[in-house]
Amino acid sequence: MPKLNYLPFTRIVATPAALDVTIWPTEALALRTAADEVLLLSSAPPTLVDPHAIVVPDSGFVGAWLPAEAVQAIFEQHCEWALPATRSVFVQGAVAGIAAKLWLEAERGLLIVPAAYGHDFAERTGLA
Amino acid sequence: MNIIVNTMPVAFEAGDSVLVALQRAGLHPNRGGCLCAAGDCPHCLATVNGVAYVRTCQTLAQPGMIVESFPTDDYPHLPTNTQRGPTVSARNLHCDVVVIGMGESGQVAAAAATAAGKSVITLDDKVGQEVVGIYPELMVVARTSAGMLHIHAHDEVVVATGAAEIQPVAPGNHLRGIVTPRAAAHLAAKGVALGRVVVVESGDAVDLSASPTLNIIAHLKGQVLQFEGLDTLQAVVVLDENGHSQRIECDTAVVWLGLTPRDLLVRMAAGLKVRAVGDAAREADLPPCPDAGMVCSCSNVSAADLQRVWDQGFHEMELVKRATLVGTGPCQGVVCVPHMRSFLATRTAAADSSANPDIARLSKVQAPFTARPVVRQLTLGEVAAGAHHHATPRTGLDAEHRRLGAVMDRIGGWWRPWHYGNPLAEYWAVREAVSIGDVSTLGKIIVSGPDALAFLERLYPTKVSSIAVGRSRYVLILDERGYVMDDGLICKDSDTRYTLTFTSGGSSHAEMWLRDWAEGWNMDVRILNQTMSLGAINVTGPLATQLLQRAGLTQPYKFMQHGHASIADVPCRVYRLSFTGEVSYELHHPVDQSAKLWRTLMTLGADLGIRPHGLQTLLQLRLEKGHVIVGQDTDFDSTPRRIGMEWALRMDKADFLGKPAIERTNKTVLDKQLVGFEMPAPAPFEGANIMHEGEYVGYVTSSTYSPVLGKVVMLGWLKLVNGTLPSEVMIDGRPARRVDVPFYDKEGARAKA
Repeated sequence: MPKLNYLPFTRIVATPAALDVTIWPTEALALRTAADEVLLLSSAPPTLVDPHAIVVPDSGFVGAWLPAEAVQAIFEQHCEWALPATRSVFVQGAVAGIAAKLWLEAERGLLIVPAAYGHDFAERTGLA
Repeated sequence: MNIIVNTMPVAFEAGDSVLVALQRAGLHPNRGGCLCAAGDCPHCLATVNGVAYVRTCQTLAQPGMIVESFPTDDYPHLPTNTQRGPTVSARNLHCDVVVIGMGESGQVAAAAATAAGKSVITLDDKVGQEVVGIYPELMVVARTSAGMLHIHAHDEVVVATGAAEIQPVAPGNHLRGIVTPRAAAHLAAKGVALGRVVVVESGDAVDLSASPTLNIIAHLKGQVLQFEGLDTLQAVVVLDENGHSQRIECDTAVVWLGLTPRDLLVRMAAGLKVRAVGDAAREADLPPCPDAGMVCSCSNVSAADLQRVWDQGFHEMELVKRATLVGTGPCQGVVCVPHMRSFLATRTAAADSSANPDIARLSKVQAPFTARPVVRQLTLGEVAAGAHHHATPRTGLDAEHRRLGAVMDRIGGWWRPWHYGNPLAEYWAVREAVSIGDVSTLGKIIVSGPDALAFLERLYPTKVSSIAVGRSRYVLILDERGYVMDDGLICKDSDTRYTLTFTSGGSSHAEMWLRDWAEGWNMDVRILNQTMSLGAINVTGPLATQLLQRAGLTQPYKFMQHGHASIADVPCRVYRLSFTGEVSYELHHPVDQSAKLWRTLMTLGADLGIRPHGLQTLLQLRLEKGHVIVGQDTDFDSTPRRIGMEWALRMDKADFLGKPAIERTNKTVLDKQLVGFEMPAPAPFEGANIMHEGEYVGYVTSSTYSPVLGKVVMLGWLKLVNGTLPSEVMIDGRPARRVDVPFYDKEGARAKA
């Protein structure tokens, strides 16, 4: 099983309207975690129309890219909610009793948890 | 092949259930009672491989399996070993329709759902899938040999579990040698010798012609009046259809009283999309009213017990259940409910309802009582399968603390180091040299936006507008009632952006608090909780500045000043403050670089006498300074006046949260106050009573021996006596003296050095 590693996110908090119209850098992975918040995996910064937006580097999450079958297996064993059928899709909820985020593509998924819970999550799911 | 029954080997054949193996050997797994061999009744329960209350009729015999029959006069004792049992896994599955039971009606239901384009999961106890409950949100939980299944149905659950045979209630129905027709056929097919068999039935339903090995010596229509025997059946007394009583000697009585639907799963699912089909949906037959004999062998409730509670005024199914515990045992009422209904129907019909309106409103035949999960006995491992305990977060230094041999504990909602083996040395490192501590758990929240100042001004009791950029201020956080909820810092980053800190245990609530008020006041602000994203290391002690200069700090910081710096090549926000009473810098940094920063500081400070300090030392140091810990020293009704911190309020502000309540409570007479005490060692325990002239006047909230002062220092709540705070009190049966705080370095010269 892959290991959980720190993820070099940029965390953005801005008005929902500003986030709605933001054009994210090409190749960026922008995960809308809340109406006013985005987790961004990108080497380039975004251009935001909100001058008061909070844009900070954030290493507070760990995660791992997993094959889709491995994601499915973890969900079957540790999650009461079903994986959505659509791809690509971003979902959030309790996995193995820990608040998790999942970016799911056709062949793989990026499973993300707060680094503070990484130890427990790894212990419970086998993502050592 | 053998199983081991009460230490004796018992042979079995492939495909035998444990019950069949026992019966073939002339043994009974239980004290006795009618056997159904279908998993409905409690009469074949035994302890199997250390697990009590196992249905042996549903359990396949395996070589070496350990079977312990029930004691004759008691229930099985639960295992007392303290070893952790095996972990049971849970598998979550999702579908549109779950069909439980794959008899004829179950197959029809599954086929119909499939034809309608639904995804279907079928469960059948005949292949080892025992459904134990249906839960809200339509989750079906089943036990299998491979673990538990948690199946989430989106549309509906179809219960096709069939019907159970009603068992007889008559004197002697606890004897061995009584079976239902299905059990008789099953046992005969398995080669179990049942001896001389008498069949007694209420109608024409029993056809045992397919079981030619049965030696049926009599087949009667009628009602069993009595089963005779000591432990084992020897004769049966029958009232036949002509009203004649006859006694027939026999080895086995096969008794048929009709069917009752297996509808426990439906009865526990009120309001959920659960429906029964086939025999599970049929009307229950009503057996004769029980006048004598054991009605509920699970809970030892006899017909006489039912009569007793009826006479006491318990006339409803639910009430009779509560009064007698009938139906609450391992079979969950499958055996006793038909007889309860018959008993209550008969008594209700016979009662003078005009004289008893309570009875008059009852329906003639009452519905069975509500069922609840689980319908099978589960081990704790099976119950816990798929469940996770609340995870305690760990800082980015958790592994480092453990590597250094720290004693770790859950404090303030986090795993934190209590000490590293020598708390006294840790203490002196802070007071005399330099030390580092992990304070990553502190709440850290950014507030940004055009309304940031107005928002914080309204939220906090301090004058936020007077804080300069790059400066910090200690603040209390009050609720609407003016009670102290938390404390922390306001750090001004720019005119429209602030960083707020909170206690370790308070950050989650603080974020909700901030968001709630921002929304309620319609403030144009953005809020980001960085508590888990930033590590924080407190560098403290007289040599702290020297250490940080070695690590890259290029400019001096004044007390309560903050800014950005690269420390040991780690980007840090540096906060000059003090909780320990010594020069202190908090270094907030990306959490993935905590270990690098920590190790570099430890290396650079080696010749300065650096040591890490744990929470034990931190609490000791702060108490010497008289710093309050919200939640430990404060109570639910602690106002700033009561904790002696009115200096933290700016009552000349137009408004702030809690101000009206503060103004109101300030007009009342002060009744108690948080104050300092000192006394010789040893330190009393926290919570110790404070006495004055023999009267209780308060209690200790924090207590420690102060190495630097050579005495015990404490904080505690003290009642005013005749309008004043007593100066001399007794704590722990010893004299103590009230003193002003701080206890150490009253002018704060060391922290501001």
